Amino acid sequence: MLLLITGGSGSGKSEYAEKMVLRLQKMPRLYIATMYPFDEECRLRIRRHRKMRAEKGFKTLECYTGLKNADVTGYGTVLLECMSNLTANELYQEGGAKERCAEEILAGVHRLLGQCEHLLIVTNEIFSDGVDYDPETRIYQKYLSEINRQIASMADAVVEVVYSVPLVHKGNPEEMV
Amino acid sequence: MILVTGGCFQGKTAYACKTFGIGREEAADGAVCPPEEIYKTKLLFHFHEYIRRLMETEESFSLEALTRKNPEIILVTNELGYGVVPTDRFDRAYREKTGRVCCQVAREAKQVHRVVCGIGTVIKGG
Repeated sequence: MLLLITGGSGSGKSEYAEKMVLRLQKMPRLYIATMYPFDEECRLRIRRHRKMRAEKGFKTLECYTGLKNADVTGYGTVLLECMSNLTANELYQEGGAKERCAEEILAGVHRLLGQCEHLLIVTNEIFSDGVDYDPETRIYQKYLSEINRQIASMADAVVEVVYSVPLVHKGNPEEMV
Repeated sequence: MILVTGGCFQGKTAYACKTFGIGREEAADGAVCPPEEIYKTKLLFHFHEYIRRLMETEESFSLEALTRKNPEIILVTNELGYGVVPTDRFDRAYREKTGRVCCQVAREAKQVHRVVCGIGTVIKGG
């Protein structure tokens, strides 16, 4: 099954996603990490997330670009976090898919779905603060929103987390458990 | 404890005052009130600004102290973090901090309301 989890930054999305993974009880568990350790702030964030996953029995696969090359065959539950990083990596990193980022990422999502039992994807709401960003950032918003919409249409359930409170927009995540 | 959240200019404070029967003059403004006011007032709005001020003076928010001294408080906050990651370091830290603090408050709160276009929806404890 596919569960899409979205929300603002600092809204408790990761914590909700990890709780769901534990409740699913489908072993083994894989975490696909997408945050490229650019600087100390990223490394701090990565450490915070690693700590949250400690002792939860996750293996970690680092994937900054090229999601469709990831092999997750045999995993019971795969948690991909997060789509906003992966999209930015594909768009801005050397060797990234650039303007083909949405189709490349979606091809990757399809492939993962065929390989594991449960796929949970965390993404990010970056679309509603009323700031007019530069054209490059607007393109990033456009690609990410397209990816979010496509995944949501495929997903069995879509949840938005608001300050730790899950709001269900599609399906019933409880049915996955 | 009750948390009321939503975007800016959505009528959150008016909704909270009306819903919980509190006069606007009884409410404390988190952007300007003395820091200890949070332990006395029935309702504090601009809670995100209150968090910003704590960060500026390098103080930390204590949910434990608030729960002990003012367990019935209604906190009204902007829902931050729905935009692209800010380039300014303090802005990034501020929206992250507001998120973490509001998650803590929401877990403790008996109710969480979210206001859109002046309309409140109880998203926890309804």
